[in-house]
Amino acid sequence: MDLFLHLCIMILIYIIFALSLNLELGYTGLFNFGHVAFFGMGAYASALFTLHHVPFELALLISLAIAGGGGFLLSLPSLRLRGDYFGIATLGFGEIIRIIFQNEVWLTKGPMGLPGISKPTLFSYRFTTLPQYFILALVFSILSFFILRMVIRSPFGRVLRAIREDEIATEALGKNVFRFRVKSFVTGSILAGLAGALWGHYTTFISPSDFTLSETILVLLIVVLGGKGTEWGPVLGAILLIFFQESLRFLRLPAEYTRYLAPLQQMIFGTLLILLMIFRPEGILREKGKTKNVGIETGQ
Amino acid sequence: MEYLLQSILNGILAGCIYALFAMGLTLIYGVLNFVNFAHGELIMWGAYFLYLLMEKPIGLPLFLAFIPALLFTTILGLGTDHFIFRPLRQANRLTLLIASLGLSFLLRNGAQFFWGAEIRTYGFEIRRGMRFWGVSITSNQVAIIIVSVVCVALLYLLFYKSRLGKSMRAVSDSLELSRVVGINSKKTIRFTWVIASILAGLGGILLALDTNLQPGMGLINLVKAFAATLLGGVGNLWGALLGGMVIGLVENLGVLVISPGYKDAIAFGIMILMLLLRPMVLLGSKE
Repeated sequence: MDLFLHLCIMILIYIIFALSLNLELGYTGLFNFGHVAFFGMGAYASALFTLHHVPFELALLISLAIAGGGGFLLSLPSLRLRGDYFGIATLGFGEIIRIIFQNEVWLTKGPMGLPGISKPTLFSYRFTTLPQYFILALVFSILSFFILRMVIRSPFGRVLRAIREDEIATEALGKNVFRFRVKSFVTGSILAGLAGALWGHYTTFISPSDFTLSETILVLLIVVLGGKGTEWGPVLGAILLIFFQESLRFLRLPAEYTRYLAPLQQMIFGTLLILLMIFRPEGILREKGKTKNVGIETGQ
Repeated sequence: MEYLLQSILNGILAGCIYALFAMGLTLIYGVLNFVNFAHGELIMWGAYFLYLLMEKPIGLPLFLAFIPALLFTTILGLGTDHFIFRPLRQANRLTLLIASLGLSFLLRNGAQFFWGAEIRTYGFEIRRGMRFWGVSITSNQVAIIIVSVVCVALLYLLFYKSRLGKSMRAVSDSLELSRVVGINSKKTIRFTWVIASILAGLGGILLALDTNLQPGMGLINLVKAFAATLLGGVGNLWGALLGGMVIGLVENLGVLVISPGYKDAIAFGIMILMLLLRPMVLLGSKE
């Protein structure tokens, strides 16, 4: 039962993380390959503030603001770039944030990581046991899901999709494309920060090595496998992939093989991404109104 | 003063290697019009192929091992094109990018699967460098400079004095038009992969000779190579050369001022600065 609850909590957290990337990648057409940076910022900020006895409610708000602010600052220079350059710029940014976590030892304890992050207390109710944390994660993921659904179905969301389909035409209709992209990017960063904060308080230990490119790849795979630009795609992708990843972790393997397990799992993820792109780039769930061979042409 | 001269020399050495990476990246970009995220992994595998050939049970000496190592890197590069990028020629950009990102991840973890994540070296004894005017340089580092200069000279000859180079330039200008005038674009694309792979493999080997090998070396150098191509103007071969040099120099002079832990962040800083200062050049240099 504990195992099952653990699995559910991880899936819920990754659903939030994947939904935030889906807003950027799926709906706005932003190739964010450094999304883990905001996940990490949220995790570190919330952990550090609560470790310094700031109440969880406040710490969470501050960490969301930090993730959002970081997203805003990054988006100003990098959103001027065409699609693939934006991809590399964000990829580099993700690495830089990790280097900062590693080097600012006075703040983050560097590679040693931060142990003993407290379980959250919301309005004097402590979420310590697994079922309690499950409820907390469930509430936040449902909230994120419906907020994002509202955003996507609003006129604002329609403009985002229009930008993805044809940037110049949207500009011609009098929309400030740059500003819409920044808003989408910042919203995505805030939600990624939320996922990161929830994750940090759940595992109670974070270190720079938790926020590498592998996390970005995992969340990218979740979105792409499930179906980018769909409401339920990231949910489906998160259930499938997190189930696969976490169940591998509980395989009873002899000690000498465990060294091979992590790279092997990552190799499978990489291969899955490639095969998906070649054979079914739209993912399991297909976006409504899209037929098979019509790709999204963005940033051209 | 000697410290400064040494830093400048180190900067030039790093710059030579970055230039090799950046030129390969920009060649592929020019012809296929996408950023190959797996280019860093060609760099890394080039170095590991040499490691494989020099270690037991094969145990070849360096001068015999590096040619097959480059050959393997080339086969890897051609193989990725044949099995992954060729089926995606007509696909949109995002699909290509995600595929190359997945490939990069697959190849990096493949190296980790076989050799583990630990840092390795080719096992040469550390030798005292030669000293000129208080600046020390090892024979490996002399090799870096010589190899880079030879590569650039050969590339120049190839690009501007040969028929193949001419067709490469034509394909990178416009794939359709070059087909119209009867250029064999498939052959040209394959040839571009050969050159880019050799440049990546050579650069990776030189880097590993001078420092060490680890599965993560590809990714961090990809970011640097990309920063170099941005500096020099995307798709511009000589710009990539110049950009690589600048990145190498700024990095090594920069650590005199800031903490060495941030050395790898400098390239990224330059990149952001470039984006802020001359976005138009970057946005539209190819169109």
